[in-house]
Amino acid sequence: MIVAGCDVGSLTAKAVILNEGKMLSYAIIRSTARPEESAHSVMEKALEEACLSFDDIRYTVATGYGRDNIPFINDAVSEISCHGRGALWLMPGVQMIIDIGGQDCKAIKLDKDGRVVKFTTNDKCAAGTGRFLEVMAKLLGLSLEELGTLSAQARNPMDLAAACTVWAQTEVIHHLNNGTSIEDITAAINQAMAKRVAMIANSLGVERNACITGGVAKNVGVVNYLEKLLGVKLKKPPRVDPQVIGALGAAVLAYERLERNKEC
Amino acid sequence: MLNEFSEVAKTLSNRFIQQWKDDGKQVVGFMCSYVPEEIICAAGLLPFRMRGIGASSTSIADTYFGPVICSFPKCILQLAGEGKYDFLDGIILIPGCDSIRRIDECWRKAAEESHGKFPPFHLYYGVPHKLTDYSLEWFVAETRKLVESLERHFGRKITPEDLTHAIKIYNQGRILLTRLDELRAGENVPISGADATAVIISAGVMPRDAYNRLLEELLQKLSRSTNGMTGKKRLLLAGSIIDDIDLVRLIEASGGIVVADTLCFGSRSYVDLVEEDGDPLVAIARRYLSHKLCPRMFGSYKERLEFMKQRVRQARVDAVILQNIRFCDMHGSENSLYERDLEAMGIPCLKIEREYGPLVEEGRIKMRVDAFMESLNT
Amino acid sequence: MRKEYREYHFDRMVQSIIHFASLAYDGTPKEAFGMFRYAPRFREAIETILKTGEPGVLLLKMIDKYLIEVLTAHERGKKIALCTFNFSPGVLKPLDVVPICLEPVTTLGVMMWLRGLGEYLNYCCEIGFTETSCSAQRGALGAYLAGLGVKPDFVLCNSIGVCDTNATAFNFAAEYLDLPFYQLNAPPLLTDERSQKYHRQDFRGLISFAEEQTGKKLDVDLLREVIIETDKQDMIMCEIEDLMRLVPSPVPGIFNVFMYSAKYIYGGSKEATDVMASMLEVAKRNASEGRAGTTSGKEDARAFAVYVDHYSAQLRPWSWLDSKNISHLGCMMNGFWPVHAPYAEENLKEGTYIMDSTNEDTMIDSLADQMSRMPMVKQIRGPYDDPHQWLSDTMASIRTYKPDFCMYTGTIGCRNTWGAIKILARDTEKMGIPTLIIFGDAFDHRITSWESMRDKIDEFLTVRGILK
Repeated sequence: MIVAGCDVGSLTAKAVILNEGKMLSYAIIRSTARPEESAHSVMEKALEEACLSFDDIRYTVATGYGRDNIPFINDAVSEISCHGRGALWLMPGVQMIIDIGGQDCKAIKLDKDGRVVKFTTNDKCAAGTGRFLEVMAKLLGLSLEELGTLSAQARNPMDLAAACTVWAQTEVIHHLNNGTSIEDITAAINQAMAKRVAMIANSLGVERNACITGGVAKNVGVVNYLEKLLGVKLKKPPRVDPQVIGALGAAVLAYERLERNKEC
Repeated sequence: MLNEFSEVAKTLSNRFIQQWKDDGKQVVGFMCSYVPEEIICAAGLLPFRMRGIGASSTSIADTYFGPVICSFPKCILQLAGEGKYDFLDGIILIPGCDSIRRIDECWRKAAEESHGKFPPFHLYYGVPHKLTDYSLEWFVAETRKLVESLERHFGRKITPEDLTHAIKIYNQGRILLTRLDELRAGENVPISGADATAVIISAGVMPRDAYNRLLEELLQKLSRSTNGMTGKKRLLLAGSIIDDIDLVRLIEASGGIVVADTLCFGSRSYVDLVEEDGDPLVAIARRYLSHKLCPRMFGSYKERLEFMKQRVRQARVDAVILQNIRFCDMHGSENSLYERDLEAMGIPCLKIEREYGPLVEEGRIKMRVDAFMESLNT
Repeated sequence: MRKEYREYHFDRMVQSIIHFASLAYDGTPKEAFGMFRYAPRFREAIETILKTGEPGVLLLKMIDKYLIEVLTAHERGKKIALCTFNFSPGVLKPLDVVPICLEPVTTLGVMMWLRGLGEYLNYCCEIGFTETSCSAQRGALGAYLAGLGVKPDFVLCNSIGVCDTNATAFNFAAEYLDLPFYQLNAPPLLTDERSQKYHRQDFRGLISFAEEQTGKKLDVDLLREVIIETDKQDMIMCEIEDLMRLVPSPVPGIFNVFMYSAKYIYGGSKEATDVMASMLEVAKRNASEGRAGTTSGKEDARAFAVYVDHYSAQLRPWSWLDSKNISHLGCMMNGFWPVHAPYAEENLKEGTYIMDSTNEDTMIDSLADQMSRMPMVKQIRGPYDDPHQWLSDTMASIRTYKPDFCMYTGTIGCRNTWGAIKILARDTEKMGIPTLIIFGDAFDHRITSWESMRDKIDEFLTVRGILK
């Protein structure tokens, strides 16, 4: 019994294929302007990986900003519920999920049965989201991974005025001109990011059993600093790219819904 | 019938305004529920609750306002700058909150610079932030000044009888709106939150006697209605002003139904009546200054919480949506206190920050309300 | 908030820095400045203060004494009130109440600490403040809400009707900590009889409230002392301000912040008078030598800030202006409006206050008048161009001090001034005074760094031909 989850975000689209509750494949692509197009492409890619076709899929749940415009799905569920479900499936017992995606940042609290009891998201602009890091990495001519790893070598990290992504660029240029080392600047960027995320997470109350998902989970600089700020070790999703948790959750929900429909 | 309200609520210069102007009568705008409509009405003028609907940018407003100001007054100034408030003959501004207060100078400067789109009558009306015997005394004097200014500018004496008559009409409207609340509180909800919002908003933007007639008709119809909505999660909407029916519709699209509110354009505008005995002007002043349901009345949070709880009970509310327009620190911070206190009572809350008007981020709001409804339904 | 931050008592941290800094000058300057090498995080701010000599030392000693009073209040059986900055603290002395002057304490934190008060600012948001709330309260208040400072017994707010975001913070604190709350409310008008009466009755309400909280009666002898002392220090302050009119101004720019700090933290006390007197002496000496108050003794330009100063950069704005030979002639925070103030021109006299020690009633009225004219309470309560409001006060300062340019820096929480600054700046420009509006936050360096702000000011001074 094959099901799929499809997460169409504003920057990337993700798809996960499950068979009998086991993951067969997943795919991540850059989103295009049309959500249905992105959904189709990413599904095709994931299906190809699993040597399957659209006809093999029994149930699809979509999530993400573009979820309502996808023709081939059975159900649409919010990212927050999907992230909660996906994280719990990978990391049983997890009680808090911090997800930092391209355009937003969310903190989700689950009860012991995995139900979302409370969540919050950033209310602002790109500051505190993956977009911020992308802009900064581009400005410094670094890859996202380098932005994460270089900060470990910082000697004298300073505070970066990073309330606004656009202005933070001016600040970074300022530091570059003053001869501040790239390592110190990357540390400042990661710290600024972590501080904003910590504030969001703290407003929900941090649980010991917490994990981090989303593209930014790949930035070790941000994650390390965030752990320091929150005083907890953050679990990272095993086996899969942390970006696909939403799509995975959607696939798990698809599986569960199909099972439930069968029972009825 | 609902279409009529919806039309009125969605059109800035609605057909009632047009008719009123065609009859050669005048309109006075105001933008805070602490302005006594009764007095404007008693002067033979039509009080018009100003709104920012339909603004598609804030380019004109940003010429005057700084960057960290609520988008509601910005949208209003924008519309005025575009000539969309050309039906106004006057405007009364007050220190409702700091963003609303500062439209005063921005409005005047914009008026100086844009030739004839702005009304000739302009008054700044002070409203204290606390109720004591001396603040009431100050406010009564301020209200007398308001009466005199209107009389002087519009050339019509406001008699105690005029005031008494206006009080009656407005009280009647408030009583009718309370009946609408009662209907919404029933098991079978005969009207969606979006439609109810349209009905409530209409009260501030059309002649009240005509409004009362229309509303009475609607109430009769609704009370006979048998195909109400059941089984949906019942929501209460609280926080910063909402006069955007589509925002309520967006919230309800996630599967819940808004059955009550504690909003300024909503229940806060009609829950308390003006006393009908004694000096009518003093009675009006007392009603407005006693009104503690806006966080501008600092130090009265507990009374507001009590009001919130009462409405939650009355309308059998399942969950509360606490929202604030960005830069509205008063509602934003108080929403957190509500969240703490309501959740302690077992009432789930969703707290969101949003923009007003052209800046509303539909996708973001939908995502959060969807998730909230999903969490209520599992 | 990070775990580490929860280990430290906020007030004690601030006090110990100030305390040791204030002792530094008891030795030789060489010893003092040698020692600062070991305090790299506080060094810049402390050095800037101590470079002024005796006034700086007296100021630090005064603040130290104040903080000790706060720290020991409860053990001395006194009640503590959480107060807005624009709350003349002398008012509370005869009521036997010790104030936590919230914004000044935030200012001390952001001035002294290299990393500012980010953790405390954020903590307020974590428990429910909007991120757009004013940073002046969120700073130190974060510590009090987290239980990391002394515990206030009640809350007194003098910003209702003046500033919503400020009032909201105090309202929130009272609810969150479950404390009794009293608010002084400013109507939009100031000098008409009706508003005057309102203020005086409102202030009497405050006295009754405080008496109720402490169980003690207002001490009339102490009240008289405060009235006389306030009058004395106001006279000195006005004399300093009068000297500021000279070209070059013999008053070091940083004295302005010393003056209002002394008023906000310890107004009406002997210690504040001493700080003022010491500053006056320095200014007089400079004047007699025809020197400017800048380090170089030269004055290339004169600056006035139409709202607040920028605090979150270890006092760098003052040192930078000084290094450019620019006399800083104060800001709105200096506008206390005692009757002798040089900016209180004849037609503005009714906006001033006098200290009348005739009897209990006149004394209470004097304090009520003073409270209703505190910076901000006076200027931003009504339409910006009403009599005695922001525009008229700014114009009066401009006419008095003749600055070459004006600056606006504020906080992102300030709806009131951000709502009218573009209009005000047009008016000052029309008067021929180049005016620069800077987006930044006086208490939160994470919004815009001082370096970026500095570059903007520098560019402005060049482009507008103010500095040749």
